[in-house]
Amino acid sequence: MRKPSAHRSLSLVTLAAATAMSVLAACGSPGGSGDTHAGASANPVPELGKDQKVSIVFESYNYGLAGAWTDTFNDLISTFEKQHPNIHVVAQKPKGSSPNPAADSISSVQSQVAAGAPPDVVQEGFGDLDFTVHSLGAKALDDLVGKDAVQANFDGPKYPFAKTARTLGDLGGKTYGVPFVFSTPVLYYNASLFTAAGLDPTKPPTTWDEVKADAQAIVSRTKKSGVYLDCLTKVSKDWCFQSLVRSNGGRVISTDRTQLTYDQPATVQVVQLAQGLVKDGLTPVLGQKDGYTSFARGDMGMLLESSSLQATFQKGAKGGKWDLKAAPLPSFGTKPAIPTNSGAALFVLAKDAAKQRASWDLIKFLTSNEAYTEISSKIGYLPLRTGLVNDPAGLQAWAKANPLVQPNLDQLDRLEPWVSFPGNNYVQVRDGMMNAVEKSVYQGADPASTLTAAARQGAALLPKA
Amino acid sequence: MALVIETPAGGLPAGNPSAPGDPGGPVTSERAAGATLAEGALAEAAQAGGDGPDVPGGRSRTMTIVGHVALALLGIVCVFPIYWMYTTSLRRPQDVYKLTVLPWPLSTSSYSQALDQLDLARLMLNTTIVAILTAAGQLLTSLLAAYAFAVWGFPGKRLLYLGFVGTWLVPFQVTMLPNYVLLHQLGLLNSLAGVIVPNVVSALGVLLLRQHLDSFPKELLEAARIDGRGSWTTLWTVVVPNLRAALTALGILLLVNAWNEYFWPAMVLQRGPSVLQLGINGYLNSAEGDNWGPLTAAAGLACLPIFALYLALQRHVINGFVRSGLR
Repeated sequence: MRKPSAHRSLSLVTLAAATAMSVLAACGSPGGSGDTHAGASANPVPELGKDQKVSIVFESYNYGLAGAWTDTFNDLISTFEKQHPNIHVVAQKPKGSSPNPAADSISSVQSQVAAGAPPDVVQEGFGDLDFTVHSLGAKALDDLVGKDAVQANFDGPKYPFAKTARTLGDLGGKTYGVPFVFSTPVLYYNASLFTAAGLDPTKPPTTWDEVKADAQAIVSRTKKSGVYLDCLTKVSKDWCFQSLVRSNGGRVISTDRTQLTYDQPATVQVVQLAQGLVKDGLTPVLGQKDGYTSFARGDMGMLLESSSLQATFQKGAKGGKWDLKAAPLPSFGTKPAIPTNSGAALFVLAKDAAKQRASWDLIKFLTSNEAYTEISSKIGYLPLRTGLVNDPAGLQAWAKANPLVQPNLDQLDRLEPWVSFPGNNYVQVRDGMMNAVEKSVYQGADPASTLTAAARQGAALLPKA
Repeated sequence: MALVIETPAGGLPAGNPSAPGDPGGPVTSERAAGATLAEGALAEAAQAGGDGPDVPGGRSRTMTIVGHVALALLGIVCVFPIYWMYTTSLRRPQDVYKLTVLPWPLSTSSYSQALDQLDLARLMLNTTIVAILTAAGQLLTSLLAAYAFAVWGFPGKRLLYLGFVGTWLVPFQVTMLPNYVLLHQLGLLNSLAGVIVPNVVSALGVLLLRQHLDSFPKELLEAARIDGRGSWTTLWTVVVPNLRAALTALGILLLVNAWNEYFWPAMVLQRGPSVLQLGINGYLNSAEGDNWGPLTAAAGLACLPIFALYLALQRHVINGFVRSGLR
């Protein structure tokens, strides 16, 4: 019996060595090619010649979504190709196995960078901004086409970008990403349940104290759930949590992005408030999907949620015969409510000058009046050129038919960016923070000590100055 | 179901030769005999479960009833998600969040939406191609490797076999990136070949077939050799015909696995041809709200070919697993 076991251990050693090598190979940081700041602003990439044929790859998670998303984007790309006959666009979805294609968008590009063939234009979330710039090698658009051209695109031929939206893709004073689609946290509420609970459905709560009181009325009088905040779990990421923290006067990271500040009183108070809602039985202990599905079914009074889920609630309200209404993000007492944004921007990764120019042309088209009119009316995303909603030839009819977008549009004036954590460990830092929040809110851990412990662990993961 | 009836009705005979600790007799004939005896016991048990004349005393009968009730409940638990999938697919779009057990009023709009938005025929064809070629490739390589391991003696055989077993222990995620880079160099990304090629060897297949081949009577192989047949001819004229049940069972298992494969196609097929599992995933997205209606409709349709295959070949599948000792 000794011989085979010797063989086995030898083979296991070989195996372990092979495995370790593969893991190491997989973990090597592929990005950071070093030419992030290639090209000076005085020397923008040249315009394409008339007969210069260019083919670029555009990767967007919209292609991972069947129906309106894929169809609308296919139509847009074909319109773009008609307008630019010398540019051919190959569109693809992120690769990866997560149920939500947007969750794969970073790892997908990362492995393509490793294989030496990254896509030319990518759509990435604002929470990944730092990583997209520093590790995936997104180009500074200011350097690529000149600051004036970038600003001219924001100004638009007719309708400019919402003022607060223009800088969401900026890092270190330069524009890397053109904000493309986003939403803000909106308080959806079931007006039918409000009436049943003896509340006035025309007067939704404007502060968190009012939310609590209304939730109490709904729970005690209708036996349904009170309120759910889709901002307090790891799955929900931190964009909406940042809204709550900012509204309470705090920040999760210092303005120079070198110190984690989510263990400070302003953040702890937010978590205590949410924990109180759970302890009082006003917020059900549910995961993200169960939370919003319960609201869609008509079993919940209020839900703080991204406006991108609006269509789901409209469908649910129609089937359950209840009245869906929307209100702006509630505030903490008299402090102003500060919404932050979810969503994504378009970045250029192309290294070749001709491809860079073609990529910029594509980005300009996808953020044009024409494209936003299509995207908003067919997919329901917010048009970042907000003037379109007053244009009879643009989105006026759409906005009229969808009055629920109004709170979202109104909030844009007060919008602040969803701040991304720096460094290659940014996901771990974010997850650590959200785990601490989730543990406190839903599992009853002590908010102050749990957040302090998470902040200490997170600090060790930040890049060294 | 034969498998589950055996225990309450008395189980296998006491002298079950496949039990460890029997020092006498060569391993191969022992396993072969074990398989036959086990089968006999199963047939007996099935009969006992059916009309119960062999059950000694009321207590065993009660136990049988309790066992069957427990199994029935377990069966319902297993079937319920599938029932819920079809139920959801038949609700009206605005009713998908309802929790009523019966979908009423019935609606086929989820099916028409899925058929309208997904090219299901094309997806089904692609999935069939991938599943059949992958399973056939795995079956062939497994057969050749298992034959070599079971029948031939060569230096380093044990180490090599452990190497095979070892690959089974390495998660696919570990080899994913090197595989991806290789496919990129070969120009096979975004093609069905890229899904099939890295999967044509299955460690499970080698393992399973080697178990079967170990119990293959060596006398038959000896006789074939005396007949003047070479290894290759022996494999195809002697071994394969006698191994049909095991090959069928393994083939079905590999086919079902390849049909349901999601991870690797999701890595390789970013554009161009797609497969069913990826098409269905287009309706799943937590950021924008899952589209349960067409999702369940497409998933329901995607299950049908596998259901049909399983129903038609159910006997082979169960036989194959009973003989291999795998549950």
